[in-house]
Amino acid sequence: MKTYNTRMIGMISLLVLLSTAPLAAQITAVQVMENVYSRPNGDSMAANLHMTITNARGATRERSIAQFRQDDGTTEKKIMFFTAPADVRNTSFLSYSYSDGRKDDQWIYLPALGRVKRIASDKTNDSFMGSDFTYDDMGVRHPAADTHTILREETIDGWQCYVVQSIPIDPNSNFSKTISWIIKDEWIGLKKEYYSAKGNVEKQLAIQAYEKIDTIWVITDMTMSNLAKSTSTRITMDEVSFQSNLKENFFTERQMTIGPRS
Amino acid sequence: MRLIQRIAEKPILFLIFILALTSLLIGSIAQNVALETDLNKYMPATHPAFAFSDQAEALFGIEDSILLVIEHPQTIFNEVTLAKIRDITLDLPAAFAEIRENGVTSLYTADNITGSEWGMEVESFFSHDIPSTAAELDALRDTVVANEMVYGRNVSKDLTSTLIIAEIEPGSDSKDLQKRLISYAKTWEGPENLYVAGRPIIEGALAELGPADMLRMFPIVLIVMFGLLLLLLRSLRDTILNMVIVLIGTVAAFGSMTLLGIPIYAVDTMIPVMLVAIGVAYGIHMHNTIHHLVQAQPEIDKGTLIHLVLQAMIRPVFMAALTTAIGFSALMTSQVLPVRYFGLFSSIGVMVEMALALVLFPVSIQLLGIPKIKKKIASGNRKKPSHALGRKSNRWGRFVMRRPGVIIVLAVLVSAIGIYGTQKVWINTSFLANFEKDSDIVLTDDFVNSRFGGTSSLNVILTAKEDGTFKQPEVLQAMDDLQSVVLEHEMVGAGFALTDFIKRMNKVMHEDATSYGTIPEEAELIAQYLLLYEFSGDPTTLEKVVDYEYKTANLTFQLKSDSSAVMSEIIGIISSHEAGFEKMGIGVRYAGSGYKAFVFSELLLDGQIVSLILSFGIIALLLTLLFRNIWIGLAGTLPIAITAVVNFGVMGALNIPLSSATALISSIAVGIGVDYAIHLIEHYRNQRLEGVSIHEAVFETIQNTGRAILYNAVAVMGGFAVLMFSVFPPNRQVGGLIVLNMATSALGTLSILLVVIIALDKRGKFLGNLIAGTSESNADSTHDIENDDTEIKEKLTV
Repeated sequence: MKTYNTRMIGMISLLVLLSTAPLAAQITAVQVMENVYSRPNGDSMAANLHMTITNARGATRERSIAQFRQDDGTTEKKIMFFTAPADVRNTSFLSYSYSDGRKDDQWIYLPALGRVKRIASDKTNDSFMGSDFTYDDMGVRHPAADTHTILREETIDGWQCYVVQSIPIDPNSNFSKTISWIIKDEWIGLKKEYYSAKGNVEKQLAIQAYEKIDTIWVITDMTMSNLAKSTSTRITMDEVSFQSNLKENFFTERQMTIGPRS
Repeated sequence: MRLIQRIAEKPILFLIFILALTSLLIGSIAQNVALETDLNKYMPATHPAFAFSDQAEALFGIEDSILLVIEHPQTIFNEVTLAKIRDITLDLPAAFAEIRENGVTSLYTADNITGSEWGMEVESFFSHDIPSTAAELDALRDTVVANEMVYGRNVSKDLTSTLIIAEIEPGSDSKDLQKRLISYAKTWEGPENLYVAGRPIIEGALAELGPADMLRMFPIVLIVMFGLLLLLLRSLRDTILNMVIVLIGTVAAFGSMTLLGIPIYAVDTMIPVMLVAIGVAYGIHMHNTIHHLVQAQPEIDKGTLIHLVLQAMIRPVFMAALTTAIGFSALMTSQVLPVRYFGLFSSIGVMVEMALALVLFPVSIQLLGIPKIKKKIASGNRKKPSHALGRKSNRWGRFVMRRPGVIIVLAVLVSAIGIYGTQKVWINTSFLANFEKDSDIVLTDDFVNSRFGGTSSLNVILTAKEDGTFKQPEVLQAMDDLQSVVLEHEMVGAGFALTDFIKRMNKVMHEDATSYGTIPEEAELIAQYLLLYEFSGDPTTLEKVVDYEYKTANLTFQLKSDSSAVMSEIIGIISSHEAGFEKMGIGVRYAGSGYKAFVFSELLLDGQIVSLILSFGIIALLLTLLFRNIWIGLAGTLPIAITAVVNFGVMGALNIPLSSATALISSIAVGIGVDYAIHLIEHYRNQRLEGVSIHEAVFETIQNTGRAILYNAVAVMGGFAVLMFSVFPPNRQVGGLIVLNMATSALGTLSILLVVIIALDKRGKFLGNLIAGTSESNADSTHDIENDDTEIKEKLTV
């Protein structure tokens, strides 16, 4: 969902930041969030996702997805193929996200139905594949959507972190505020809390593992807990690659029916 | 007896002691009284049906909900009303602590899944920006009408009203929720009307109204009874004593409850009812005996009077109280907790009343002297009424002696009619039936039922052995068939299950073609639809209809009545499908508060019948032991049996529902019936042992014990008749049934019991071995009694 322009702005602001480094002891909250937003995440990526959804009673559902992503600066294209469980194998999901603010395009392919269908959803808070993550959580929220404040600094896992509070500008947002723990100078979040209208922590994101793959930070293990519903979803990632060199026609309705082989 | 005499010698000390004890108990009540309004607390949690229901409720998040209806004179599809729907939906959890955050469902929150040639759309019906132009509003209306998952369910078919459903946090106290919700709803009215309905509202109103009304009516009951007792006994002192006895008895029952930390349940309003009806009898019999002794021996001194009264009354009063208490204890076999407590604490109250009656009358004689005023009235004005009563009792005595056949035939006839009526006892825990037909609560319920699926619900829980069973086409088809059959019942307004989602998805994925509103035949397609629903709709919606492993499913039926009779019919329909599910390895069970109320009513009836039968056995045994004669034991249960049968018969005939309160009234048959029987048998036997002929003993007993029984019955009946003017229908029923029970008990005792006793006596089976003196122990007891009797006679003739 990031555009070339915003990335440029990010780069520029980073440069500005670096140039004023001696004075930058007082980095602003907006700058922290913009750094997070501008952190490179690769133009093309392939990975296997394993999702474990746990409900309030502790019952679990496992899902495996082969995911491919490509970003040409104006459109982020994603295609996902379910590899498990067996009764949904080869079900696929294609999405185009546009940087100019147009609504996403989404397609679903159900092999048992034998047809590709478009899905239109006006619900941006929709759960991601029936998990505790939303599509919003899976992307990076634009810093301009909230007003940010640095609450304090804390050390987590030996990392110096900024604790940033973000209050949505849209009064009808799902959360009254979020609090994020951002690693200084790496600009990767380690923890995030989502607050309800009544002021309770409703959701909590915890990062269990992250590594640098091809110089890009990748979160390989994270858990979103919904404290209000007592549910949680853990997503782990493996076989992450940023040199997938996928053909342009990989992100098409035709490919959805063929499967993840290129 | 010596103890009581010694107490009577120090009356002031005793009164201080009683006063202190009573204030201690009142203090405990005042500090710890807590009315339990949560009906779930009434149910035995360990009972398999309740345990299963609780489990299923937790699994599927089955909660009782409050229904808020917004009605617009023309149509809800206008900008203002739609904005109100949105605002109320968002505001409810903030305005009410009992309402769950995310627990409010309305047209604003509902997902609208639609299909078209090019694909599938998941949208809100309307978003934060309310449609305002006529075209937008018309489009929204058409969308709602086209979606069978909301049309007729969330929005009425005439489009003038819509539902906002709010889930109540489990275990939250819904005490004055109804009042608060109604005033909250008022603030949103105009031009729309708002209505509040749903089970928590009805339960809350009921749990409050019943005891509150009883609290209002009870003082009037006591005042009327006071007046009647004053008229009948013609003694202010004895009338006050009687009232003191029943009041302290009630305080003792509630005080010991609060001391033990047991909450007061709504059915406990029946404890004072019982204790007043029964307790008055002890005092009246004491008064009666004192009255007769003083009349026969005007110059008697305090000590002798106390001695003679106690000698004559300790045995029958103690026996009457003991058998009543043990009879009540039989209620402790009930599976329903409040009924058990009712049995226990009523027993305690009865024993306290007995002790007080035996002590307070002698104390009053010691303190205030021989009741002289009464004697003067008695010697002056009493002659006429005494004669009238005497004449009447003579006439009745002659009738009993000459026409026992008529009485037996009548008794058999009444019992037969009673038994017939009993079979029709309307087992009905309908909460709504407790309200007036034209009350707001009933009218609102009718209104909601006429526009929507129904205010009550039944959850059918299907449990399979294997994971993934509820993704199988044949299983889903069987569920769908069951739904169609149940929906044919006129009281079932809607059904909701996993099948509805799958049928909707199948239709949407086939360009909204109606012919695809069916369960697909391939298992993979079903699995893929479900996956698609999970990530395009709200995944938690599915959790209300199926568990995570697709092993347990929940079918919800909306019912237009909360009567357990309707519930019974619908369960009958469903159980005829059980065999089919069984073949697929699926068990059929039920859940939800409506179902629990249904099981509860059956437990209540079963428990009441078991405890009544048990009471009969215990009482027959006790009477047999006390009188050392099995025939007396059996005969003594006759008035109880007739009273109980007539009670249930009248309930059946008049369609009075069996609720926890009305079920307990039959216990009064035990309490009062045994009391009357013991006094009658004891008096008659004493007469006969004194050598009086059968004929004269009958007349004497009618005139003496009969009078006490009649006074008791009239005073209690008059008092409780007041309840028949209560504004709360269940309390009216309680009042009416108490009047009926007192009348049957008194009539049964003075007719059929007397007839049977005479018959036994004539056949030598009444006094039998007492006179023959065959066994040693019998001889001993006979000796004791004869000693006592001769003592009395000596004293009387002195």
